[in-house]
Amino acid sequence: MWSSKRTIAAGDTVIVWMTRDSLEPLVVTPNAVLHNKWGQYPHNAFIGLPYGSKVRSSAPSNSGRGGPTGGFLYILRPTPELWTLALPHRTQILYIADISFVVNWLNIGPGKRVVEAGTGSGSFSHSVARTVGREGRLFTFEFHEQRAMKAKAEFEKHGLSPGLVTLQHRNVCKDGFGEGIEDSIDAVFLDLPAPWEAIPHAKKVLRKDGVARICCFSPCIEQVIRTVTALNDAGFSGTHTLPPTSRVHSNPTSRFLSQHPPLPSLTEITMFETLQRPIEVSSTPKLASIEDAADRLKAAEIKREEKRLRQIAQNREKEALDKALAEGGGSGGSGAGKRKQSEGDEDGEAGEGANGDGDVKRAKTQSSTTPEEGEGEKEEEGLPRVPVLTTREIKLPVPARSKSGKYDMEGKIAVSKALPEVRGHTSYLTFACLVPYAYALAQGEKKGTGAVVEVKEVVNGATPSTESKGEGEAEKSAEPEVKDGDA
Amino acid sequence: MSSSSQSLVQHGHSVLVRIAKGDIRHIKAEENGTAVIPKFGSFLCNDLIGQPYGLTYEIVGKNLKLLPPRLLQEVEDTDATNELISDGQLVQPLTLDEIKELKQSGAHSSDIIQKQIENHANFALKTEYSKEKYKKRKEAKYSKTFTTIEPTIFNVCEYWFAKDQTRIRDIRSDSLGQILNLANIHPGGRFLVVEDASGIVASAILKRLGGDGQLLAICDTESPPAFPVMQQLNLTPDEIKPLRSLNWATALQDYNPIVPPSDLAPGEIRSERQKSRLKKQLFAGEFDGLVIATEYDPYSVIERLAPFLGGSALIVVHSPYIQILSDLQAKLRNMPQYLSPSVTEGWLRRYQILPGRTHPMMAMSGSGGFILHALKV
Repeated sequence: MWSSKRTIAAGDTVIVWMTRDSLEPLVVTPNAVLHNKWGQYPHNAFIGLPYGSKVRSSAPSNSGRGGPTGGFLYILRPTPELWTLALPHRTQILYIADISFVVNWLNIGPGKRVVEAGTGSGSFSHSVARTVGREGRLFTFEFHEQRAMKAKAEFEKHGLSPGLVTLQHRNVCKDGFGEGIEDSIDAVFLDLPAPWEAIPHAKKVLRKDGVARICCFSPCIEQVIRTVTALNDAGFSGTHTLPPTSRVHSNPTSRFLSQHPPLPSLTEITMFETLQRPIEVSSTPKLASIEDAADRLKAAEIKREEKRLRQIAQNREKEALDKALAEGGGSGGSGAGKRKQSEGDEDGEAGEGANGDGDVKRAKTQSSTTPEEGEGEKEEEGLPRVPVLTTREIKLPVPARSKSGKYDMEGKIAVSKALPEVRGHTSYLTFACLVPYAYALAQGEKKGTGAVVEVKEVVNGATPSTESKGEGEAEKSAEPEVKDGDA
Repeated sequence: MSSSSQSLVQHGHSVLVRIAKGDIRHIKAEENGTAVIPKFGSFLCNDLIGQPYGLTYEIVGKNLKLLPPRLLQEVEDTDATNELISDGQLVQPLTLDEIKELKQSGAHSSDIIQKQIENHANFALKTEYSKEKYKKRKEAKYSKTFTTIEPTIFNVCEYWFAKDQTRIRDIRSDSLGQILNLANIHPGGRFLVVEDASGIVASAILKRLGGDGQLLAICDTESPPAFPVMQQLNLTPDEIKPLRSLNWATALQDYNPIVPPSDLAPGEIRSERQKSRLKKQLFAGEFDGLVIATEYDPYSVIERLAPFLGGSALIVVHSPYIQILSDLQAKLRNMPQYLSPSVTEGWLRRYQILPGRTHPMMAMSGSGGFILHALKV
């Protein structure tokens, strides 16, 4: 597929990693230069480096990343997953959640033969090619000529074509999948607007000597329902278009055939939705305890109270002063004004105000160890007795410094949550099986029930045997065994 | 290895069978032997060996008869509702004894069902859907039919997940698929695996290697790890070939062995030689990927094994718990040799699609665990 060598060579397709969300494919070309907002990168510098290397910009980057030494990026080895994130979109593409689920359900693996329609931008195709390996095959069909050409070029560049991947420009709904691959395909994947039109064609190419699987990828539920009808009609998942009484593929007297009334298929057509939710992980300091909040509030309360008391003392001083002045001469107006001002201060917010007096007050508070009581006495000393506004004695606690410091940076914890915006829907995945009923019947008839037979080599595409295995041989349908303990 | 022979039941295969009740059992297909499904039935294995997987059979005596498929009948809607249906005790008048009698008289299961329907007081009143549901339930109960299930990675994972998901560390089928893709598992690749999930991860990787490549499992036991899931997948010797194992003591030792080879008994010499060969391989490094699904601290695993990974190699860690991976991500994020560590959670919803009755399943899996993936640079 892509290079499996340890180091980068000229001509290699690589994935340039710039940020978590910014990846780009690049063909390493001698003397070419990659210019982007992360800096300047001559390709020659990549050649000979091991894959996974970090490369520094040869000039300072515009992004400012990497500081004065310039920007940087990583040169990665392409994988289908990185390719999906980096490839140039020509259509809406499939992402890893759907791709990996479909590949898994369809039992795609080394050596398998897979049909895909339509190719689109090749996201799914690259993943399948990787998984089936050199022994497997992918037959992919695209009805849009330009896209078909683009995809073909990519497959060739990546060493997938010719050989592993065969792309055909073809409308499979109208024209089917062509000759040459009938009865040989393990899995079919249909990513088409009207998959029901391709289903009868799909049935032709699917193998008949083992379970074959199909997946239809459709965004709308109406498409799903129509698809299921088509799958049922075509005989997928053990259902049959013929009424139960008719046995076209087998001899009615076949001793391998059950006389039991047909059961509904125990493996019904199913449909899934699957998504991959990205989780964001971040570091946060250890969570603060409410004790810290309580302490903080208490400290604030103390400050507020101290300020209030200071204001009261101040007001009393001014009142006394005004009174003295008023008795001595008339400057009551200014006194009243001053009072209003201090009342305003009193009602104002707690905490350090922008007052010029603030510093003085703060100094006063800090110097006292047991505040308020001492201050009150000091203030009253030498002044005419005035009614004290506070009627009770306030005993304020000293705020304790919290032990589990909110500001302790050593104690960080990792927290995670889903991203705020996640993808809610890509498409419905409808899955069905084609069960090799006729083949099984033929195999069973060939062997004969109850006889000791060697396990014979399997021949591909065995046709059903029409020869009766001998009506003469006593092979009446035995009574069903009665087993207890079943009620 | 012809891929078509893979889809046939072969001698020695562990075969998963879905019995009529809707649950899954397993039997061993031994040539000339008898398969026994406890409390259900038994039959001659030779009838099953050579059959492709995925078919439905009826047990008749000790033999199997192939069951033809049938058309999904379109059930007509009627005006019936459950308005008049009484839920009283006399609804199902066929007593257990009567049923037993019918069974012993050799009545076919469909006759028993028909009798039940006739005697069911409210049957006519049920909606057509409800009737079908009833019929299906009864059919499931009395028929001796089963369907074989092909041992694909998907099917085996689903079986284990439904049986006991903790044994496979909550690795649901979508999680497993993502692990295989994120780690870029491909034929010819060389991978390290550290897992305690009953071998589901190692087996799935082997299946995707198809006999081509290397899988070195590092484990915490003296002897090779028991991977019970491998049995169920019926891997061929070819597919198992790439698997080797080393335990942690050997993997972390200095390159020189503790005991000089000359002091060992002949049998031990061979295993020591193999061990040192594997160590050589491990220490040669340049592995393509590391997959982790273990109860041990994943960082300790990565710290020790990352040096053996090539540049641009994939690291994939699965855990049932998000906290494990968020702590890991927080660590790796600040280390220059790990690029873009990301944590994701898988979401999977299954629907039933039947005419007029299409909706998501009532039961849903709560969690398939979480995955962290990063690049080694």
